[in-house]
Amino acid sequence: MNLIDRYVAEVGRHLPEKDRADIEAEIRSLIEDMLEERGQSAKSADEKSIAETLEELGDPKLLAYKYSPVKRYLIGPDWFDLYLTTLKRVLFTALPIVAMIAFVVAFSIAPLDFGNAAGDAFSRVINIGIGILFWVTVGFIIAEHAGAKPEELGVSKIKAWTVAHLPKLPAKRQIGASEVLTNIVFLTIFLAWVVLPPFTAWLRGDEGFVQVFHPNLWNVWLPIFFVIAVLTLILELFKLKIGNWTPSLTASNVILCIGSIVYIIALVTTQKVFNPVFLETLTQNASAEELSKITSWAAWSVNLSAAIMVGIYIWDMADSVIKSRRLAQGK
Amino acid sequence: MDNDELVQNMLLELRRGVLSLAVLSQLGKEQYGYSLLKALADQGMEIDQSTLYPLLRRLEAQGLLQSDWRIVDEARPRRYYVISAQGKAALAKLKKEWSAMAATMTKMLS
Repeated sequence: MNLIDRYVAEVGRHLPEKDRADIEAEIRSLIEDMLEERGQSAKSADEKSIAETLEELGDPKLLAYKYSPVKRYLIGPDWFDLYLTTLKRVLFTALPIVAMIAFVVAFSIAPLDFGNAAGDAFSRVINIGIGILFWVTVGFIIAEHAGAKPEELGVSKIKAWTVAHLPKLPAKRQIGASEVLTNIVFLTIFLAWVVLPPFTAWLRGDEGFVQVFHPNLWNVWLPIFFVIAVLTLILELFKLKIGNWTPSLTASNVILCIGSIVYIIALVTTQKVFNPVFLETLTQNASAEELSKITSWAAWSVNLSAAIMVGIYIWDMADSVIKSRRLAQGK
Repeated sequence: MDNDELVQNMLLELRRGVLSLAVLSQLGKEQYGYSLLKALADQGMEIDQSTLYPLLRRLEAQGLLQSDWRIVDEARPRRYYVISAQGKAALAKLKKEWSAMAATMTKMLS
């Protein structure tokens, strides 16, 4: 009898609490039926027949699994695709933003310390990335085990399918991937030029590095510059993904171009861009006359660069609008 | 996976769907698990206890069977299963499908 008790208990151990007693009773009844089949009474069966009977029934754990409605996986096929898509989408949108914000914040607290800012951004990306991974996964595990179906979220896979669901053949792209990647590379180089110590702190003066840009700019203007740069980077990624000047993409581009133009004009008309100390250091042994020459040259070069950049933005804006028209007309 | 194992897996899949139908068809009259097992085996449908018992419970949870612990003929108490109204309706539909499918398969395989 002892063997039977142990077998039944072992089955029960792998069963959900609420069904346990009932299934245990049924298994016990089954074992007794099987013993009677061998011509033995359940009460007086010999050890050998009991052992053979239980072995015929097989591994109690496997028997319990056949009963158990408990899912032996965390996220099943119903949810898995949606889970992966969601995870990718969240990670790829959130992490770059987190990285940039962390970088800008760390940088505005301790300017010039590029290594520290990059390290800070990196560790935050890792932390938040793991956090996102964890919570998205937990959410899907709960959905799976609460017995929900993806259809209930309106994300049915078995939505009536029509040919309208067929994806378009890869269309001719107006915006080449290489064009976008080039922009991204240039943007990155430009960003590096602004923030990296070898450039920002161009010259080594008597008291350490001297910044190229005016220290006042760190308060508002450089952070705004970073925001614009991040937005531009995001827009470039969308250009890469969409490939054509759709109305929303064109609108975003126009808005960003106008924003950038306003920023550039406001910057050069209201602010001193170069650090005066930098100019002095640059012309250490120069006469007052030469210094004023250099200063006015610096002002000119700033205005000229600004004008060129405004021109590029206007061209870019017009280009996107014209191409967007062409797209709408199906050319 | 060698060929024997492959065939074994395909057989398992074939039987999985058929077993529910077989069980429903034999429970017009109430039976306990072990007597059903014998009845199925007698007609040539061999099935493991560890497959049949969980299957009975699953069909009951789906509303296709009803069950009761009962003492019949002064024996030990046993859980007796019988087909429910919902089960009968399902069985009628399945029977029709099965006949059509069996006819098609017989034609295809001959």
